[in-house]
Amino acid sequence: MKINHWFWTILGIALSVTLIFVSLNWSHQNTTELAKIHNSKLSPVIMIPGSSASVNRFDTLVDKLNKNNKHPHSLIKIRVTTDDKLHISGRLRRGDNEPVIVVGFENNHDGYDNIKKQAKWFNTAFKFLTRQYNFNNFKAIGHSNGGLIYTAFLENYYSEYSEQVKIKQLMTIGSPYNFNEKSVRHKTQMLSDFIDDRDKIPSSLSVYSVAGTETYNSDGLVPLGSVMAGKYIYQGQVKHFTSISVSGSDAQHSDLPQNDQIIDLINRYILDPKQRPQQRQGAISLDGQ
Amino acid sequence: MVTRLLNSFAQIRNTKVASAVRNTLTLLFPIMLLGSFADVIKFAFLTKTGYMAQMFGITSWLPYSRELGWVMEVIFHCTIDMIALYAAYGIAYFTAKEYKKDGGSAGAIGLLSFLIISYQPTEDGLPNFSRFFMSQGMLIALIIGYLCGRLWVSFDNSKIQQRYKIIIPVLIVLLVSAILNLAGLFVVKLEIPTYVASFVTEHSPFNSLVYVLGMGFLTDLLSWMAVGGPFSNNPTFNDAPSMANMNAALKAGSSWNVPYKFTDTTLFHSFANFGGSGVMIALIIAILIFSKKNRNRNVAKWSIFPAVFNSHYSMMLGIPVLFNPVFLVPFLITPLFNMIVAAIFILLHWMPVAAYPVPSGAPGPLIAFIGTNGNWITLALGAILLVLDVLIYMPFVKLSDRISQKAGDINEN
Repeated sequence: MKINHWFWTILGIALSVTLIFVSLNWSHQNTTELAKIHNSKLSPVIMIPGSSASVNRFDTLVDKLNKNNKHPHSLIKIRVTTDDKLHISGRLRRGDNEPVIVVGFENNHDGYDNIKKQAKWFNTAFKFLTRQYNFNNFKAIGHSNGGLIYTAFLENYYSEYSEQVKIKQLMTIGSPYNFNEKSVRHKTQMLSDFIDDRDKIPSSLSVYSVAGTETYNSDGLVPLGSVMAGKYIYQGQVKHFTSISVSGSDAQHSDLPQNDQIIDLINRYILDPKQRPQQRQGAISLDGQ
Repeated sequence: MVTRLLNSFAQIRNTKVASAVRNTLTLLFPIMLLGSFADVIKFAFLTKTGYMAQMFGITSWLPYSRELGWVMEVIFHCTIDMIALYAAYGIAYFTAKEYKKDGGSAGAIGLLSFLIISYQPTEDGLPNFSRFFMSQGMLIALIIGYLCGRLWVSFDNSKIQQRYKIIIPVLIVLLVSAILNLAGLFVVKLEIPTYVASFVTEHSPFNSLVYVLGMGFLTDLLSWMAVGGPFSNNPTFNDAPSMANMNAALKAGSSWNVPYKFTDTTLFHSFANFGGSGVMIALIIAILIFSKKNRNRNVAKWSIFPAVFNSHYSMMLGIPVLFNPVFLVPFLITPLFNMIVAAIFILLHWMPVAAYPVPSGAPGPLIAFIGTNGNWITLALGAILLVLDVLIYMPFVKLSDRISQKAGDINEN
């Protein structure tokens, strides 16, 4: 009986020691591997609405994205007031690796001066987000002037983060790169500035510029020529530049964020490919991504 | 004083409810035990992301591992994942038996009632049950089953006509359960873990420490009552604070300075959940060393394997720990004690924080060790805490032995 006890105790200790060393070895390997990839699983989609729009601008879009989705995207909204303060609502749902974060501004007016200010406010919000969620890559969507704010942000502020946080894709929807000018023969100050600083835009980025067309040359508000002027900024500078025009229902400028074709494009080009659902609470994916 | 306490415990043990509950737990024990074996084999050994599979690459060299995993998963889902169903049947059956009535019919009514309450209609019409009730709602199942049993007994005793005697209780149960099902919809919608995770990110370290301690306490208390608590059984590593911690650790190359030091992962899962809720592995060791009750020693021996991989179900039902006032105190104190000690160590910068991912089903004391990328202090602390936990459990194991002697469990030896 006594011998039996000793046998089991020794066996237990031997097994524990084995497990400890196997675990140690595994943990070192896994951590090195992870550090190498250093690819955060959290990869938010950060959206900026256009002028005169609030942080609620993309609610319908997110609802449509989440429809029939077993792992819905969380929706976090950040409103930046003119005194640089952030007002946050919504929370990150557990297990959601791809939240939608909408950054809106108290001063949401049109005009180049305002866009410069909004880019600065966006930078404040972005700095907070990188600290709060510690992600290292993200996707960007800007509707209307939101696309211009993104362009201004990429040219003036992004270099500060480019080491740690990678912007994977940018989609601008109906963004008037040349404001209301139909032709690039009349370049606005903003477009000239954007073109001058285009070399600061990261070359690994893929850009999709989507234009709505209600008539043959306008989405009812923004001239097609102004949207297409984006190519003078991005084409040749970024990895891919794709321009797409959509027509049919919901192709009017302010309907674009809920246009089903555009939602399809977002699903296809901007969001990460769907992951297989997890098997058990607690099961984690360790094979890279 | 102690004798009086012993007497009252023994008295509680011999009431009709307690005896029905005990019989039910005895009925459930083999189902749970084999279920937890299947659980561990499936999720720690045969799932690619499980602990043993990661450590020894089992899934790549074991022939037919997929098929075996499939079988184990089926067993797991039909045992542990649906344990409340068996509980509802068992308690109704044994309640009727306690009153010397026909147990089978009462059991069927209990089962019926619980099925109706937990059923969730789907569009394609296939059976689908609320997870909240099925795998975490054993307490609810016991209450419902008990009430059904009592209802059956009281109708059987009443003087109404024989042909209504069977129909009326079934009708009542049907209607009440259907209404409860409707009410249950609202409970299920609460996403408790999300709130827990967001609390940690939104509050100061001290607040979140108190919060994690409180929630850990609540989780253990609820699991003593057979209800799922705010913390899940295994660290998930996909909530916001854990992900932020992992990224910070990967960036810095170590996990000493991470943004959220006190989370369910760093404290609760790393130090308070060895062998499952209530540091169950400490109770197993305490029983094997100190208990003279053969039945408990047997249960403990059987439970070693699942408990190593943090499946505590067989102990909960086998000893039983569930609803057992004797083990309530250590069951709550040991995890709390562990978390506080660990928090002090983290606060004083004596050890780093578990931030790297740990495969699911990793043995309790190894979670923090792997989570800190092999920090020896963490492992030593885990081992010391385990020894202290065994000592905390010791007097209660002895007390339990004395109570069973007092209650005269002749058939339990």
